[in-house]
Amino acid sequence: MTTKNIRGKEFWLVPLLFILLLVFPLVLTRFYTYLLALIFVSGLAAMSLNLVLGYGGIYQFHHAVFYGVGAYGAALTITKLGYSPWIGFLVGPLLAAFFSLIMGAICVRLSKLYFGMLQISLGSLVWAIVYRWYSFTGGDDGIHGVSMPALIGSTKGSYYFTLLVTGACLMTMYFIVTSPFGSALQGIRDNPVRSEAVGVNVRLHQLVALVIAGFFAGVAGVLFVVVDNSAFPDMLFWTLSLEILIMCLLGGWLTFLGPMLGAAMMVALRTFASTFTEYWTLIQGIILMLVIIFLPEGVLGYVIAKFKRLGEVASGGKA
Amino acid sequence: MKKETIIGMGVVLLGFLSASFSFGAEPIKVGIIDTYTGPATAYTFDVLDGFKMAVNKVNAMGGGPGKKIEFLTRDEKFKPDIGLAMAKELVLRENVDILMGTINSATALAVSDFAKKEKIPFFVTFSKSDKITGEHGHRYVFQITENTLMAGRAAAFELAKKPFVKYWIAGDDYEYGHAIADGVWTQLKKLKPGVQKLGESWWKVGETDFTPYITAVLAVKPDFIIVATGGSGMVNFQKAAKATGLAQKVPFYQHTAIELSTLEPQGLDAPEGVYGTANYLFYYPDNPENKAFVQEFRKAYNRYPKIGALYGYVTGMLIEKGFAKAGKMDKEKFIDAVQGMVIDSPVGKLEVRPCDHQLMLPMFFGVTKKVPQYPFLIASDIVTIPAKDYMPACEEIKSMRK
Amino acid sequence: MEFLSSICPPEILCQILVGLSRTTILFIVASGLTLILGVLRIPNIAHGSLYMIGAFVAFSVSKWFGGGTTGFWMAVALAPFAVALLSLVVERGIFSHLYEREHLMLLLLTFSLALILSDLVKMVWGGQYKTVQLPGSFKGPIALASLPIPIYNIFLVIIGPVVALGLWLLANKTKIGKISRAAAVDREMVGAVGVNVSWVFAIVFVIGCFLAGMGGALVSPIVNITLGMDHTLIIEAFLIVIIGGLGNVWGALLGALIFGLTQSLGILIWPQFGIVFPYAAVVTVLIFRPTGLLKSTW
Repeated sequence: MTTKNIRGKEFWLVPLLFILLLVFPLVLTRFYTYLLALIFVSGLAAMSLNLVLGYGGIYQFHHAVFYGVGAYGAALTITKLGYSPWIGFLVGPLLAAFFSLIMGAICVRLSKLYFGMLQISLGSLVWAIVYRWYSFTGGDDGIHGVSMPALIGSTKGSYYFTLLVTGACLMTMYFIVTSPFGSALQGIRDNPVRSEAVGVNVRLHQLVALVIAGFFAGVAGVLFVVVDNSAFPDMLFWTLSLEILIMCLLGGWLTFLGPMLGAAMMVALRTFASTFTEYWTLIQGIILMLVIIFLPEGVLGYVIAKFKRLGEVASGGKA
Repeated sequence: MKKETIIGMGVVLLGFLSASFSFGAEPIKVGIIDTYTGPATAYTFDVLDGFKMAVNKVNAMGGGPGKKIEFLTRDEKFKPDIGLAMAKELVLRENVDILMGTINSATALAVSDFAKKEKIPFFVTFSKSDKITGEHGHRYVFQITENTLMAGRAAAFELAKKPFVKYWIAGDDYEYGHAIADGVWTQLKKLKPGVQKLGESWWKVGETDFTPYITAVLAVKPDFIIVATGGSGMVNFQKAAKATGLAQKVPFYQHTAIELSTLEPQGLDAPEGVYGTANYLFYYPDNPENKAFVQEFRKAYNRYPKIGALYGYVTGMLIEKGFAKAGKMDKEKFIDAVQGMVIDSPVGKLEVRPCDHQLMLPMFFGVTKKVPQYPFLIASDIVTIPAKDYMPACEEIKSMRK
Repeated sequence: MEFLSSICPPEILCQILVGLSRTTILFIVASGLTLILGVLRIPNIAHGSLYMIGAFVAFSVSKWFGGGTTGFWMAVALAPFAVALLSLVVERGIFSHLYEREHLMLLLLTFSLALILSDLVKMVWGGQYKTVQLPGSFKGPIALASLPIPIYNIFLVIIGPVVALGLWLLANKTKIGKISRAAAVDREMVGAVGVNVSWVFAIVFVIGCFLAGMGGALVSPIVNITLGMDHTLIIEAFLIVIIGGLGNVWGALLGALIFGLTQSLGILIWPQFGIVFPYAAVVTVLIFRPTGLLKSTW
């Protein structure tokens, strides 16, 4: 494993982007506004995964479960139980955090690949329940037509809501990773034995990280329901977990904003490649392979490394 | 260049220009979302090819009133979130007039909601959920294909006439499987109260080895098995049935068991004596329209048309005739024109029922049989069940939508 | 058969036999996966795609030889080699340069390969369903009491142990086998002793993929050959490898047995939820023995 300590120095980009993003819906067509909202949703899910993957070094192979649980939690609260959407927005992430706690407690005794495989087994169980319990969850038909408050129901409205919530989550995540807790987590990632020796409760730290990651994934799930008014069992399937993992790696899992960039790349690729070829899976596979082979630190990681080197050269040696 | 040549070229050019600027020159834009990856592809290419055949016909005649049909396709890979995003892209970015698709019921339902919001007509070409025109039906969605409730009732209609009493129900463990099984059983129990259900078995979707399930059911000795499989499972189940000789021991029924999509891949190794229902058989009815349709399709695509071809073709025809009757590119007038419309098709006259926008297809019930003319099995002892005999009544639809 | 059915109810015997035939396919595919995972430390997600390609190639070979008995045997003989050749090209061209990368990267690399292969299959063979014909002597069932067991399933039950024996001989009695087992545990040491580890890896990878292709070819006459086959087995194969012990071929056999038998017997007990049994078994094993039932090479 690497020994890089991620500090997220590129974070100043965020307020600048934020201002730009506030202005976009006024100039872009409805479709691009919708697309950006989708990117935020996937990006938030990927960022939540990276909390435990990049910062914690935990092989979270089935992160999509918490994303899906968040979405279903909100969608079911609104459609089946009839509560107000705002209550649904709270239920989703809390339910996801709860699932993360349970699954984490079972899996956290293991490490690496074993953790990942047990999580896949348990996560598949959750998927199977949602898929078969069609009288309650709608089964493979999913839930659709979830009603939203008028303020956030339109394309613009859902965009701004998503932007605000995602922004708030990112800020919270930033404070978490730059806090002592975050440093301890990275220490555990790099050397669990030494951390234990220094008195850090490795298992507890990892469990807390997992619950936080699950919570934010749940928020992402809720935002999906806001943007697309639906929830589908696919959101809990292992292929989506792999896709979220790929977003982290494409963008750069050792950077703070990498996963968001990765999400943007995946969504854009999917949307535009499909307009000119039916073989867009092939294109996706080739691009992924090229990035893995040539840019092992992801696109953002590569860009940052390049800038660092330029900075060093410009200041005549090590900064 | 000689003066005459220049004038001649000018006239020809003018002719071309005036032809392309004929009144109502903008084409009808149709956006198709469907699954062209994975096992569903075996069905969806037929829908596209049938639709293309209709479009080519329409465009060759010069299009509606000066309108041609243009279409765009998007592969959703059987993922509803991708399908929904693509529907939004087609409507919000490509500005399509009509949406069409898909084989995935979850996508169809989600896109149907979107179509209702955006007031765009949406033709469902292969999804079989009865919620599309039932519980969640509305003005902007039309269903060309049959749904699980309809298929179940048609099957029960014929099964009730047969002497079987002890039934076993088995199927794919997802909404489609359960819906078909419920559709058949509920209606069968109504028509013939004496039938008994000995038990049920359910397997995961995409199961490939049915032998253990078949042997377990044979041990229980029912009179008849209702097998609610779909898609790839159809062929896999029939293969296991052939290997175990199931149909000769205990007869069974599957929806689409007699369809070409299920029988052609197995060639002469498909099991005989399997009961099934289907909405299209290229060799029946043996009338001029069907013959012409099959001939045209074979000439264009070098294969026999399967059920999807009928759906795609009828959709193309409806779109063309709808805009022709509406007289202009007005979506509301188009919908008014299409509902209640009756068109000619290879299976006879078809009506788009006004109360739920469901196409009233006849259902064929038959048994698989080997014949010398074809390198695959076909249906025999065919019974045609007219749509009005097996579709849920308009009052039922109304109560579902409450 | 009659003797056996007198000591055990025919339904249970029947379910055991068909469960065992399912075990064979699962074992063959999983053993390839566990070899690659154990020696090369690569979780090969493309394994499912190679299984699918094995089935499609079997279809093409069978058609080339006119179907029937010749077609079937030629398909089963040639398809695995075609898949092995493809895997050699991929390994030498791409993977061999990246063995030092982290496992996560290698996993995603195989995932990207799986994406590419699945679209390639669509390009080459198209979307329609395909079939391989059974040879005449394998068609139909034989009767056990009044229950039918397809002859082909019995053929599979016999093939399983043959492959297992073959793999055992390969691993323990050949030089390459012994070197591979050493390389699985300590690749640096093996390299230090002067063995070309890179070629060892190539051979093991090719053998693993050969097995995937064999699984696909063997299963081709009894299943619907369709796009999307790559997804059907891959999760089950991984779960079997995990519960068996990473890199342990006997573990793969044990895992496949557990999977195949719990499902076919579970159907007798509770047909409505037959699918639950193998997954319940997996979760149970993982909770009590998370590193697998038998020794892993990691």
